[in-house]
Amino acid sequence: MAEITTENYLSEAKRAIKNQVLQNALEDLQQRFGTATALAYQNLPEGPGLRFKAHDIRMDTIENLDIILEKLAANIQKNGGHVFFAQDGQDAVDYSLQVARRHNVKGVVKGKSMVTEEIGLNNAFIEAGIDVTETDLGEYIIQLAGEHPSHIIAPAIHKTRNDVGKLFSEKLDIPFITDPPKLTQAARKALREKFLSADMGASGCNLACAETGHITTVSNEGNIRMAATMPKIHIAFMGMERVVARLEDHDVLIRLLCRGASAQNMSTYVSYIGGPRYPGQADGPEEFHLVILDNGRSRMLADEDFREMLCCIRCAACLNVCPVYGKIGGHSYGFTYSGPVGAVVTPLLVGINRAKDLCLGETLCGACQDACPVNIDIPRMLLVLRQKLAEGDPAWGVTPANRKERAMYSAWSWMIRNRKVYDLFLKMTAFGQKFLPQKDGMIRRLPPPMHGWTKSRDMKPIAAESFMKRWKKL
Amino acid sequence: MDNSGQVKFIRRIKKALGHPKEDHRRMAEFFNLPISENDRTILKHIKNRTRQEKRKLLKTLIEAAKPINLNVIMLPDVSSVTLAIADLVEQKEPEWGSKKSVMSWNHPLVERLNLKEALSAQNVPVFVSELKNEEEQSASSSDERQRLRQQVIDSYIGITSADFCMADTATLVMRTRPGQARAVSLVPLIHVAVIGEDQIIADLKELYVLLKWDPEHQKETLTNCMTFISGPSKTADIEANMVHGAHGPREVYIYVITNKD
Repeated sequence: MAEITTENYLSEAKRAIKNQVLQNALEDLQQRFGTATALAYQNLPEGPGLRFKAHDIRMDTIENLDIILEKLAANIQKNGGHVFFAQDGQDAVDYSLQVARRHNVKGVVKGKSMVTEEIGLNNAFIEAGIDVTETDLGEYIIQLAGEHPSHIIAPAIHKTRNDVGKLFSEKLDIPFITDPPKLTQAARKALREKFLSADMGASGCNLACAETGHITTVSNEGNIRMAATMPKIHIAFMGMERVVARLEDHDVLIRLLCRGASAQNMSTYVSYIGGPRYPGQADGPEEFHLVILDNGRSRMLADEDFREMLCCIRCAACLNVCPVYGKIGGHSYGFTYSGPVGAVVTPLLVGINRAKDLCLGETLCGACQDACPVNIDIPRMLLVLRQKLAEGDPAWGVTPANRKERAMYSAWSWMIRNRKVYDLFLKMTAFGQKFLPQKDGMIRRLPPPMHGWTKSRDMKPIAAESFMKRWKKL
Repeated sequence: MDNSGQVKFIRRIKKALGHPKEDHRRMAEFFNLPISENDRTILKHIKNRTRQEKRKLLKTLIEAAKPINLNVIMLPDVSSVTLAIADLVEQKEPEWGSKKSVMSWNHPLVERLNLKEALSAQNVPVFVSELKNEEEQSASSSDERQRLRQQVIDSYIGITSADFCMADTATLVMRTRPGQARAVSLVPLIHVAVIGEDQIIADLKELYVLLKWDPEHQKETLTNCMTFISGPSKTADIEANMVHGAHGPREVYIYVITNKD
């Protein structure tokens, strides 16, 4: 598994808010993609309502995932590909290392893949003495910097051209330059050598097609095509939900994926890969492996509250509109997946208590659902997670996150159902609040243990007379 | 034996979904469905497209190509495409070294361009991505693959055709076959695709209907590698600046031959 630092959500978020470079980058990203994606949906021939159809297709797929995956595997095997079903990240890593060792692999070139981030594939390869190179320009930059992606589609948005120039001059041994085309050319040159010398290409899978037996990869740079064409082995990784049954489902979903991810009608490259090269073909990999990963997904599938989350196609549209992500950035979420998708998926993958701040931190404003190409009701699932945190849930191993809060709400609930006690409480607080610091008719600070409430906001004082009393007088 | 872990994996999913073990019926509901009335209409529509409708698609294609910096050029016949390519070879400089060479597909339309002869005046060799020896495991085919690989790496222009071109998104659709290597549209600095006007279709929907239901394409379906290409390679990973030629070609030209001969 990748490193999990979800416990640091609050401190990381505070740090991100103070980082002005990041704040500018996030604002720019959201302004560009947020509105452009909404417009791209509007411009669909079927209109934005296509998102509802896409949701139905995805739900139908997820509810029949068993037979759809069987069909996909059978078709890929028929075409000479190998399929491996990995129960968890370790299984997937072990299998990839086996394949690599069998072929004496020394260098791996990787296309961007969140699921390989999730299972910590890079570190496993490096520990095994295998050179791994991320080849998406953004991923390459953050790999050179020794960091993790902060956005699913734009992993290096937190880096300026000066950062990149410095990094390249140190690591690639070139003069310091800051011109993006020149920097891109430097990376193209360095990575071209990697592509041509690598023995193995690794990629993710955007959306497989079961009836034809293909995975698809989508990119603008062409790096995934390179990784899947030049090395002698291609190994692809997919979360078990990243599949649909038929080609006509792809018509809806590929169009929505490109719009959701980058407001494009079509990304530059979409490849359908269904196995190793055939005899007589001049290029393409000698071996093709597909690793299908569960790693906690079947648990989401079994819970009807969270099954819908498996509709997600990881396009990052929700990140581009989320007011919380827009301030705290991707690293605060402490795991592979950030933004609204991360706020639901991460707790379910790493433990709800452990990642509690992620779902508590979101606003429930619903922007994510409106931006989602498959219309996933993320706010609903955030609420379910919060409910589990409040009340506990043995099935998910959740203990109530805040016993003090729970006790206070129980007491409150008892009090407001007892009129006399409540009246007494009102009388006492109406009197007591006179001693609290006030400004412009607002209470500035509450005493402990309620002081947290007024840390970042003022509170309106309680009325001198309750509504019920005034009602009687009328 | 279940080395792939499939049985356990699928069993866990079935349990999570609460589905019964026997599900041949569900399988039939999902796959091998007969053609829908809608798809039949689309298929008929593609087959009976008038000359005017085809010209309209070409116009759509040209419009869609502009914002993605893809060059779509209408030319009347094969010989004018040959001239255009010869011009391109003359104007453009190679990326890595100074020696110019071109790699092309073995494809009937590309063959008719007669590029070897046309470029010999400039002393630019044209390599063809075709294995002479098709026996997969023979030593000579592996040598040959190595030679073709080096040739495509050294070439700065790659010349292909395509199976289709989708007008709506300005997308070339290319399937992989012997003689039609994947790297030709990927590794060189410039990609040139030559197609006939008849190869233009409207959109993804038409493509999938053709692949699935048209007798001509049904048999081959997608092959083991079908690629969509919409314009030159690009990235915006450094401060959101759009740069072409991240890993794939920096320039893409589609020559559309409008006259049938």
